[in-house]
Amino acid sequence: MSEQSVEEGNGRSSSWLRRIWNTTSVPVGAVLLAALIGAAILAISGANPLDAYAALIKGSFGDSAAVGRTLEKATPLIFSGLAVAFAFKAGLFNIGAQGQLLVGAIVAAYVGFSIEGLPAIIHAPLALIAGAAAGAIYGAFPGALKTYTGANEVITTIMLNYVAINLTDYLADGPWKDTTPGNVVARTPKIFDSAAIPFVGDIPIGFFIALLMAVITWWLLYKTTIGFEIRTVGLNPHAAKYAGIKVAFTVILTMTLSGLLAGMGGSIETQGIVGRYQPGFNANLGFDGITVALLGKTHPFGVIPAALLIGAMKAGSSQMQFSADVAKEITDVIMAFILFFVAADMIIRWILRTRAAEGEKITLSTGWGK
Amino acid sequence: MLAKRSYLVILLMLLLGMALVACSGGAAEPAAEESAAEEPMAEEPAAEEPAAEEPAAEEADCASEELLCVGLVTDVGEIDDKSFNQSAWEGVKRAEAELGAKVDFIETKDAKDYAANIALFANNDYDIIVTVGFAMGEATAVAAGEYPDIDFIGVDQFQAWMFDDDTSNDFTNLAGLIFPEDKSGFMAGALAGMLTKSNTIAAVLGTDLVPPVVAFKEGYEAGAAYVNPDINFISTYHPGGLDVAFVDPEWGASTAKQAIDQGADVVFGAGGKTGNGALIEVASHEGVFCIGVDTDQWETVPEAHPCLVSSAMKLITPGVFDLIKASQDGEFPAGNFVGEVGLAPFHDLDSMVSDDIKAKLEEIDAGLRDGSIETGYNPG
Repeated sequence: MSEQSVEEGNGRSSSWLRRIWNTTSVPVGAVLLAALIGAAILAISGANPLDAYAALIKGSFGDSAAVGRTLEKATPLIFSGLAVAFAFKAGLFNIGAQGQLLVGAIVAAYVGFSIEGLPAIIHAPLALIAGAAAGAIYGAFPGALKTYTGANEVITTIMLNYVAINLTDYLADGPWKDTTPGNVVARTPKIFDSAAIPFVGDIPIGFFIALLMAVITWWLLYKTTIGFEIRTVGLNPHAAKYAGIKVAFTVILTMTLSGLLAGMGGSIETQGIVGRYQPGFNANLGFDGITVALLGKTHPFGVIPAALLIGAMKAGSSQMQFSADVAKEITDVIMAFILFFVAADMIIRWILRTRAAEGEKITLSTGWGK
Repeated sequence: MLAKRSYLVILLMLLLGMALVACSGGAAEPAAEESAAEEPMAEEPAAEEPAAEEPAAEEADCASEELLCVGLVTDVGEIDDKSFNQSAWEGVKRAEAELGAKVDFIETKDAKDYAANIALFANNDYDIIVTVGFAMGEATAVAAGEYPDIDFIGVDQFQAWMFDDDTSNDFTNLAGLIFPEDKSGFMAGALAGMLTKSNTIAAVLGTDLVPPVVAFKEGYEAGAAYVNPDINFISTYHPGGLDVAFVDPEWGASTAKQAIDQGADVVFGAGGKTGNGALIEVASHEGVFCIGVDTDQWETVPEAHPCLVSSAMKLITPGVFDLIKASQDGEFPAGNFVGEVGLAPFHDLDSMVSDDIKAKLEEIDAGLRDGSIETGYNPG
């Protein structure tokens, strides 16, 4: 106790530095600690950890193609990370980002392949908006279920993921299946070029859209009345209700916007990377968003470096296996440890002996019911 | 106290910082190497510092005429999946042992990385690239167009361009190794149909999104009906997407158990780890047979020994090896290359299979080969 007061009195000039340290120490510490554990596992399994990490970095940042690949991998994670982080702010745990992303991806594909002859300036945004809207509607469901029936959004979003997986599988193997002669694969036709979101050199344009959405999300959360209401509901729904905030409306709105972000991420995967919807091609993007959101301290700007880090690990893992003969699963192990240490932040705080900054404690759940 | 703590933190940061510098320093070396290796003179990199020689030599090797380099890219899944990827990899390893090839593999974790993983081998001057799984067909065809000097072997990849009138998309460096799964399944079904006492047999299958799985199932049912017209089937496809359908042994086990509860006494498990889960579950039920798929699963799923009577095999390993050999000999057969199928040995359960059954199976095998027996499977 006395130490705290010493620290506080020690210098006001460095207080902003300390605040940055307090907010970033846990994620940074978690990443480094996870990397160290990964290195230990590599060493135990007989590989050279430095070689492995060097190859990982070469594969993710070694040349412009590698950087492009990292950004390509990071882009959907920014969206799903924003989606999860945004819902967190209202105290909602959106595990359904995966389902919302899939629905967005296939609807964007449908708009992309079914409408011919539109100029790109209309077609590409139209597909993007359609995918985002589909994700938004899909996100609104669990919000409404929570509001009107008290069904916990954790359960409903998990369940709706399965609905989305099977719905998209059905569409890709049924009414929207690619009928190109010789095709036996379950997938939609290729979207028209006018609906594609192109690359600039090796850099996917979708990445810049992701950055823009992060800024918009931040602005909405911290600079608008509705953002204030969302955060208030997250801190204490009862107090928010007492203060005259329409909690029911806010919950549905938050889930809708969260779904919109995830759906937009799916659209951009379809329009920018895959060029069609194909089952299995978007596996785990939504779930990785949970890691990204937690690692980014559920802040829109924290999500970006977190997504870049996870994206880099995904982009570099092939090179790591090729050059250092290391099983790719090591990146999953590192990611799992990152998530573990971020969630169990007391471990990092104990090692670094920092304390939580004001108001940045993550509320994982507001409990059952409303 | 405060001072001591700060020191600790600073020390820790310094240590980690040093570790990072060491990492990025290591990364810079091979990158510099690459640009040197790209120059026509292969000797040049040797002039650099001796520590960097090894990777440079490695890259030069594959560029040279003498050394055959074979790279394998797995479908989503592991190299030691005791099934598809592993059989193909064993074919590649046979090329290492018998042809002196330098071999390596990359496991695909995300279907979006197919092209990037193929490119990693191509950019390192590999001579032959094997891609496993029909899902990679499109990426393989694109790569075959992009790298005309490399021979591509696509395991389970049907080459449709063989049959269209368009000559602009014809390849000379791409061969699809395909198998008549329906015939393999037909043999398994005939065996099951003769072994069953309850007149009910089951199949636990990966997703129907994958045509070869459907072919196995249709062949299996046709084969059983061929020897035993009144037989009942309990055939179940995994309901999930491609990302889970082949890696869900729990679902495979519970589905197999349900089928047994409903009276099935032979269970065919076809679908990667999902199917393996079914086999292992059946092993704990007395008096129920199981049949594996793709490879001789006696070797790959020892837990299933109590029930495993045979496996509906696609002889991937020799098929891959033959194509690698053909490529080395300059006789690469572009297009579709039909591999062999057949039943695996009965191993310890040989005594359970009567001579009459064995004779009948041989008769059916001959009939399937000469076309007098048709499986009735038509993928349209």
